[in-house]
Amino acid sequence: MNGQIDRRHFLKATSALLAMGAMGSRMAFAEGSNLRLIFWGSQTRAQVTNAAADLYGKREGGSIQSEFLSWNDYWPKLATQTAGGNAPDVLQMDYRYIVEYAARQAIAPLDEFIGNALNLGQFDKDQLAGGSVGGKLYGISLGANSCATMINTDAFKEAGIAVPTNTLTYDSLRDIGAAFKKANIRGGIRAIADTSGLEPVLENWLRQRGKALYTADGKLAFDANDIVQWFKLWTDLREAGICVTAEDQALDTGSLETSMLVTGKAAMFPANSNQLVALQALVKDKLALCGYPRVAATTGGGHYRKPAMLFSVAGSSKQKAAAAKFISFFVSDPDAAKLLGTERGIPCSAAAREAIASTLNENSRMALDFVTNLGDLLGPIPPSPPKAAGEIELSVLRTLSQEVAFGTKTPENAGPEFVALANDLLSRG
Amino acid sequence: MDITASNPAARANRRAATGELSRGFGSRERYGYLFLAPWFIGFFGLSVGPMIWSFYLSFTNFDLLTDPKWVGASNYIRMFTTDPKFMTSMRVTLFFVVLSVPLKLIAALTVALLLNRGMKGLPIYRALFYLPSLLGASVAIAILWRQIFAGNGLVNKFLALFGIAGPSWISNPSYSLWTLIILSVWQFGSPMIIFLAGLRQIPADVYEAASLDGAGRWRQFIKITLPLLSPVVFFNAIIQTIEAFKNFTPAFIISGGTGNPINSTLFYTLYLYQEAFGFFRMGYASALAWVLLALVAIFTAFAFLTAKYWVHYD
Repeated sequence: MNGQIDRRHFLKATSALLAMGAMGSRMAFAEGSNLRLIFWGSQTRAQVTNAAADLYGKREGGSIQSEFLSWNDYWPKLATQTAGGNAPDVLQMDYRYIVEYAARQAIAPLDEFIGNALNLGQFDKDQLAGGSVGGKLYGISLGANSCATMINTDAFKEAGIAVPTNTLTYDSLRDIGAAFKKANIRGGIRAIADTSGLEPVLENWLRQRGKALYTADGKLAFDANDIVQWFKLWTDLREAGICVTAEDQALDTGSLETSMLVTGKAAMFPANSNQLVALQALVKDKLALCGYPRVAATTGGGHYRKPAMLFSVAGSSKQKAAAAKFISFFVSDPDAAKLLGTERGIPCSAAAREAIASTLNENSRMALDFVTNLGDLLGPIPPSPPKAAGEIELSVLRTLSQEVAFGTKTPENAGPEFVALANDLLSRG
Repeated sequence: MDITASNPAARANRRAATGELSRGFGSRERYGYLFLAPWFIGFFGLSVGPMIWSFYLSFTNFDLLTDPKWVGASNYIRMFTTDPKFMTSMRVTLFFVVLSVPLKLIAALTVALLLNRGMKGLPIYRALFYLPSLLGASVAIAILWRQIFAGNGLVNKFLALFGIAGPSWISNPSYSLWTLIILSVWQFGSPMIIFLAGLRQIPADVYEAASLDGAGRWRQFIKITLPLLSPVVFFNAIIQTIEAFKNFTPAFIISGGTGNPINSTLFYTLYLYQEAFGFFRMGYASALAWVLLALVAIFTAFAFLTAKYWVHYD
């Protein structure tokens, strides 16, 4: 449109206004509160979320207007709405951003609602801690998850290889990779995706070696030599044909749809336990999951249970109590739990877990069993990462991993460069 | 064309006849401005205002959630001294502009010359060649491009017929930018239409005289077509250069917004977007935007300064 208003546009605009007016009047008559909700996720998540929201509307009166976007589009939108002072009442929050939003009062502390609007009677303590900042509760976990390796079991059966379990190590990965090469099925499918550029896999490996990604005060908790070792490990796997080629891996742009598991280039793919449900919807083969590879057969402690995502209440919301009441329903009502399943992770309220136990399908049960039986893989939850963490993953780790994979840099050069670039971004704030 | 409307005498007559109703220029002008008002509001409210605001922001750190913090020129200083991604994105964009614009203009002119020879069904061909320009910037075409140039895409299936095993063009840092250059050249439709219109303006008798003097096809093209077409070439070159600097959608879709592999498709605009909406550095992104504006202005000024040596208006 070039600034002209023709009759059709005028009619469209007018009828839209009239429709809005009509909607407004209907809402005005409805009892209860009208809340706005925003979240990121897939179509599957939108369906179950809207079903639960409708149920709440029916039971309490009022309505929930919801909006959902992809992860990448979600954060710019939420930041823009927050800056404009019209953020939705209830918003989905991530462990990565909660400190930042809480520090700026973009989300509200919910402590005053505990016991009245917010019923957290049998709520997992570690998940409440995951939603707390500076001793105050800013987010309610919608489900617990852990990182997990997704396995295409049909590919393993076809190649005649035993499906891996939580005993998987980086050494046994080599044997599996060699067996896949020998079997040469499905156009030469490889054992595993190249995850040298994925932050959770690096973090898991570092934690098993007694280190971490970031310290509590937001500094790097490893040194250049660790990164050199990390890139060397993956260079070996790549050269031996255990993981996919650099060219194939570069086709993965970060969505589940372009992952090596869904495109059929690799039989294993390190992801998050709750993503089993979404990934299974994208592939015909039967999926299963196990822990990330261990650095040695008896070494654990790399995994941790974290809030897969949280609900927070906007600092600018005028209906904070109503918003808290909706969240309370969302995380602990048995009927809501039945609708929501484990799509957002394992429910943190005992009542919700009990309600869904009998209704779970196979994938959801597998994810639940995995997260509840991590055993020696489980370690403590790390502190919330610094602000620059996302940028360090995307601009530093991802790029350097590709440079090493395509052979334009050696692991020995990439290690010190990683530390220098990451420190620059951390100091930039 | 309506003869009375273009005839000054007739217009004066009509004005005299309606003069009594409109009572002089004052109220006429007022109506004029009234009808222009929507445009003025849009121009100042949506263009000029935000531009001034973004110029101010370029001297601040602003993350959308807290108020802007004044930091002086440090955004600009960082850009030209310590920011490796700024240099990378600048290199990618300049490489793209310098290659895609001439290639696109050559393709447009070649097809325009072919179509200008008066073939049957010209409107159909014209429409077909123009089609990519309509579709080109769309998300669907970028996704299609991804499929065509992927490892098992159309291009490699074709090459396989000759026993050549092609790489995955789109995900190989040595070729990925070229796939975007080809995508841009493929959209030669709009400069082609303008060239075609320009070619129609060249009088046939000039060519007749030249061929009587024994000038061949190539000589006629160099001595007659190009000089007489030079204002159109000039116009197309400037428009396409600005478009090339602004190129965003294809790179965003094809690389999933990352500019990968190894930042080989990290266009300047993509980097700007990442800084603004990926990492919430609105101040730095504003500074990037103003540097881009300056860059485009320099390129355009250079074109205008050299125009007198190669653009002929008569």
